[in-house]
Amino acid sequence: MLKLQSVCSDVAGINVLRNVTGEVHAGSLTAVIGRNGAGKTTLLRTIMGAVEIKHGTIHVDGELINHLKAYERSHIGIGWAPEERVIFPTMSVKENMMFPCQIVGHNKGQVQDRIDMVLDVVPQLKAMLDRSGAALSGGQGKMVALGRALMVGTRIVLLDEPFQGLSPALAREYGESLSNLRNSQPDIAIIVTESNAALLHGIADQTFNIERGEITN
Amino acid sequence: MNSGILTLALLDGVSYAGMLFIVSLGLTFIFGVTNILNVAHGSLYACGGYATASIGLWLMGNDGGIINSIFSIIAGTLLVGVIVGLILEYLLRFFEKKPPILQLIITFAFFMILEDVQRLIWGTSPYFVSTIVGEMGNVEVLGVFYTNYQLIVLPGAAVIIYFILNWFLKHSLLGKKIVAVTHNKEVAVGMGVDAKKIKKITFIIGGLLGAFGGALASPTTSMVPGISADIIVLSFAVVATAGLGQVTGALIAALIIGIFRSLSIYLYPELEVVIPYVIMGTVLLFKPQGLFTVEKARRI
Repeated sequence: MLKLQSVCSDVAGINVLRNVTGEVHAGSLTAVIGRNGAGKTTLLRTIMGAVEIKHGTIHVDGELINHLKAYERSHIGIGWAPEERVIFPTMSVKENMMFPCQIVGHNKGQVQDRIDMVLDVVPQLKAMLDRSGAALSGGQGKMVALGRALMVGTRIVLLDEPFQGLSPALAREYGESLSNLRNSQPDIAIIVTESNAALLHGIADQTFNIERGEITN
Repeated sequence: MNSGILTLALLDGVSYAGMLFIVSLGLTFIFGVTNILNVAHGSLYACGGYATASIGLWLMGNDGGIINSIFSIIAGTLLVGVIVGLILEYLLRFFEKKPPILQLIITFAFFMILEDVQRLIWGTSPYFVSTIVGEMGNVEVLGVFYTNYQLIVLPGAAVIIYFILNWFLKHSLLGKKIVAVTHNKEVAVGMGVDAKKIKKITFIIGGLLGAFGGALASPTTSMVPGISADIIVLSFAVVATAGLGQVTGALIAALIIGIFRSLSIYLYPELEVVIPYVIMGTVLLFKPQGLFTVEKARRI
């Protein structure tokens, strides 16, 4: 599904990712574990194209995507939930979720099918659909960000530190949603970054430990 | 102060506020999306006014129909808004990854260049084509005779643009993309928004608004060298009072500044220049982010 080969990238002129190599398969959940500043977010931003790749290759289903512009990557089925969640406050939760599908050009039927799938995986969103994006708590925002990433993440879903700031109860709910997602969507590869490995214990199929921009296992 | 003067001051204030809002909206729109404070925005106003007056003179001398006047307003707006807006966007591309202060300086340099371009094309004599004002006639309001153009067209255009822009940003896909880039460019791009294209469109829309303000103002005021600077500082006052990037706020701030400026012209003419800045300073003293702060997601 996703194959990284000797990926290097810089942030503000500083080499952050160093020869990152790894493979992620459809229907699996991959945990990227590392301390703050280890390069977890940069890894996801590099896959998304937000950080330019300096060296190495990224393939999705055998297709090289290095040359794809950042805004073209959602069009090939990569969904991303950033650490800060960024829910647009002028839109309702449902509009927030539909928005990326509209951008990539899905028709109404496709959008509705996708919403139904997301609500099956993250049922907590049902009660929030009509709520304003400005009226969400941090935990709710994380759920919406997950749902929104799933709307276009038909092949790969990247979740950047989704457990950060969640209460234990909410973290448990979020973990259940991830398990639902992995079990019900065998075509999607999920990558989750986290600094606390225990939070993904029992959920992750494989783990990449990242330290100073290098995969150490 | 007698009621006639008060009525006249209020009518002038609302009329001026309409034009000021349209220009300020362009400024705040560009800033909201791109984070660039476009000093050259005043030049768009001036060039829009000059171009409209020139097209008007070319079409009808100083004597012609309303249709010709409307055509010259539309043509002047499109010509200047699109061309100058795109040139500015193109220039700024080279400084995209540079510090914001450098981008500000570039827009200032562009403003200075356009000042000379205006002198080169239109000279230093005033340009003024008021045909449409005369043709639309006057109306009596509370005992005061006032032009229909200033009473209806200027405030009406501002209100229509306000509603169209709000609808566009809230309900159209392109508008939602612009809002998304405004909130968080990287996340918007991650969802598939081509931010470069959005930036270009933003400069065109902002340019059109600036030029439209000048085009609408041209039948009521003489276009003279230096008018760009006058309007840009007033627009800054409106935008800073409202809060950068605020559409509804800009409408209200333009109304406040327009009316108080107009009242000062009739009551204390020597205060005309300082009134907008007194209002802006007072607001910023108590609300440094402007009167209307951005709606933000809860952080708990």
